[in-house]
Amino acid sequence: MSGGKAGVLLMAALVALVAGCSKDAPLDHGPMVPATTPLQLDVPAYFPQVDIPADNPLTVEGVALGRRLYYDTLLSLHGPRQGKACASCHHQDRAFTVPSPGTGVLSHANLAWSTHFLWDGRVSGKLEDVMRFEVEDFFQVDVQVLRSHPEYPGLFRKALGTSEITSGDVAKALAQWVRRLTSSNSRFDRYLRYEGILSAQELSGMNLFFTEAGDCFHCHGLPLMTDNAFHNIGLDSVFTGANAGRFAVTGNPADLGAFKTPTLRNIALTAPYMHDGRFQTLEQVMDFYSGGVHRSPSLDPIMTKPGTGITIGMSPQQKADLVAFLHSLTDEQFITDPALGSPF
Amino acid sequence: MAYMKLPQRIAFRPVVVAAMAAFAAGCAKEDRQMPGPAPAPAHAVLALEHQVDGQDFRYDTVQYTNEAGQVYGITHLEYYLSQLTLAGAAGTPDQVIPGPWYVNGMNANRFDLGPLPAGTYTGATVQLGLPPALNQTGALPGTLENLLMAWPAPMGGGYHFMKFEGHFLLNGQPTGFAMHLGRDENLVHCTMQQPFTLAGAKDTLVLRFNLNEVFRSPHTYDLTTGNQSMGSMALMGLLRDNCADAFTLEHRP
Repeated sequence: MSGGKAGVLLMAALVALVAGCSKDAPLDHGPMVPATTPLQLDVPAYFPQVDIPADNPLTVEGVALGRRLYYDTLLSLHGPRQGKACASCHHQDRAFTVPSPGTGVLSHANLAWSTHFLWDGRVSGKLEDVMRFEVEDFFQVDVQVLRSHPEYPGLFRKALGTSEITSGDVAKALAQWVRRLTSSNSRFDRYLRYEGILSAQELSGMNLFFTEAGDCFHCHGLPLMTDNAFHNIGLDSVFTGANAGRFAVTGNPADLGAFKTPTLRNIALTAPYMHDGRFQTLEQVMDFYSGGVHRSPSLDPIMTKPGTGITIGMSPQQKADLVAFLHSLTDEQFITDPALGSPF
Repeated sequence: MAYMKLPQRIAFRPVVVAAMAAFAAGCAKEDRQMPGPAPAPAHAVLALEHQVDGQDFRYDTVQYTNEAGQVYGITHLEYYLSQLTLAGAAGTPDQVIPGPWYVNGMNANRFDLGPLPAGTYTGATVQLGLPPALNQTGALPGTLENLLMAWPAPMGGGYHFMKFEGHFLLNGQPTGFAMHLGRDENLVHCTMQQPFTLAGAKDTLVLRFNLNEVFRSPHTYDLTTGNQSMGSMALMGLLRDNCADAFTLEHRP
C-alpha cells in the first residue's frame, strides 16, 4: 500500500473514529432520574458497545455514589466482613486486585463486558446481578446503616431517585461505578491507535501472542484480552474442592478444572496468577504454558497442540519476549487516575 | 524500536473497510428490490440445525464416529454463513441474500431473510465463511462475537470462518482437536440441490449442517495427524473441500 493511500485511509478512519468517540453523541441509556447527568464511557472505537440496562443508566451522580460505596467500610458493618470495603481487595494501583496468597483476585477492569462473574462464574447476568450478590451474600450489607446515615439518603435520592435504599439500589450504584472502571489506554492501545510505539522485543512477544507459536489469542483476544469464557488450561489433572472450577456450578464433567479467563490487561500488576494464585511471576506462568500443562479429559481442545502434544516448548528468549509484551498492557492512567481513587 | 505495517494494526483501517462493506451491502439490497412487478412476498426465515450423520447434536459427549473411524465429541461450534443464493426456476429470479450470519451451536440460530418472492427454486448455495470484502480485520461490527472470531493480523487478518472444537479418542484418551478455518483461499462454497417453493407466506429454510461431512469427502480427515488446522493451509484446504457438501436444505412452509 502506498503511503498516500495509507494516509487517505488513515485520515478517513480518524474522522470516523473521532465521530464514534464524540462525547456529544446523543445517549440512549433509558429513563434518567430527573436532574441527573448522563455519562458516556470513554473507550476507544475498537471496544465493543456496552450493554447498559435501561433501568440503570450511567450517570455522574450514580457513578459518584457507587464510587463512595465501593470505598466505604460502612458496607460491611454488621456483616461477616466487618471493616472491609470492596476496595480492600481491589486496589487501584493493582488494577483493582490485591496480592493475596492462595487466591488470584480477578481485576475489576472492563467488567462492563462480562456476563459471568467470579472464577467459576457462579453469578451470571449483568453487573447489577453480581453486585447484588456482593451486597446481599458477600458483605451482607445492613441497608439500615445507610438509611440512617446523614449523607447517603440524599445521595441515593440524587442519583437513583430513591431514599428508601434497598440492597438493589446499592447494587445499582456499585454496578454503575464498576461499569466505569474501563482500562483502554495501555502502551499497546496507544500503539494500536498510532499514538505510540512498542520495542522490538515487545513486538516479537506480540507476534508470538497473536500467532499459533504462542497461541494466547484464542482465549485472550482483542480488545478485552479475555473471551470471558471458561477453560481448563491444564493446571491439574485431578480436580477436587476449589479446583473443580466451573464444574461446581454446572455439574458438567466437561467443565472440570475450567475457570473464567482473566483479562490480561494490567496483568503485570495482578500477581499472583491463576485462580489459586499458584504462580508468583509471569515467568512462572510462561514456564507452565511452555511445558507444564497437564492432560485430563476436560483439557480445553485449544491446549492440545499440533501433533497432539501439550507443550509449546518456548525458548527462554520467546518467554522473555512474551513477558515484555504483557508488560505493555499496563494502563498507567487507569491505575493513577484520581477519579478512580478513593473519595475519602 | 519499530512500527508495524498498517495492515497489522486494528484500530483504524477497519473503520474504512466497515464503511465500504456497509455501502456494498446497501447496494446489494437495493438491487434485489429493483425488478418490476413483484410477486407476493414471502417473509422467510433461515434456520440452522446441526447433526452428525442423523444423530442429534450434543455438546460434551464423545459419541460420534468420523470417516476415519475416530470417536469424537464436540465442545465448541461457531461459524459464519454468507451469500445465500436461492436458484430460481420457471421464471423466478435468483435471490441473493448477502448476510453474513454468525452461527453458534449454543444459540437458536434463526435469521429473518426479509421479504422474498414466491416461486419455485431448484436449490441454493451458501458460503461457509465471509467474502473477501468482509474478511478483513474490523470489517464486521464490533460485537463480542465478531471480535472473538478475529483471525489475528499477524496471521493475515480477517475472521475465523469456523471454529469446530472437541475431543477424540487417541489410544483411548480424550485428545483435543480444533478445526479452525479461515483466509480467503479457504472460503467454502456449499451447494444444496433440494428444490423448494416459497408460497408467499412465512417460510422457513432450514440449513442442516452434518458435522461428519467435515471429516468425510473428498478427503478422509485424520485427526491424529491434523488435530489443529489453523496454522496449516494444507489442512484448512482439506476442510474447505470437505465442507462443500456439508449442508442440506429443507423447506418448511
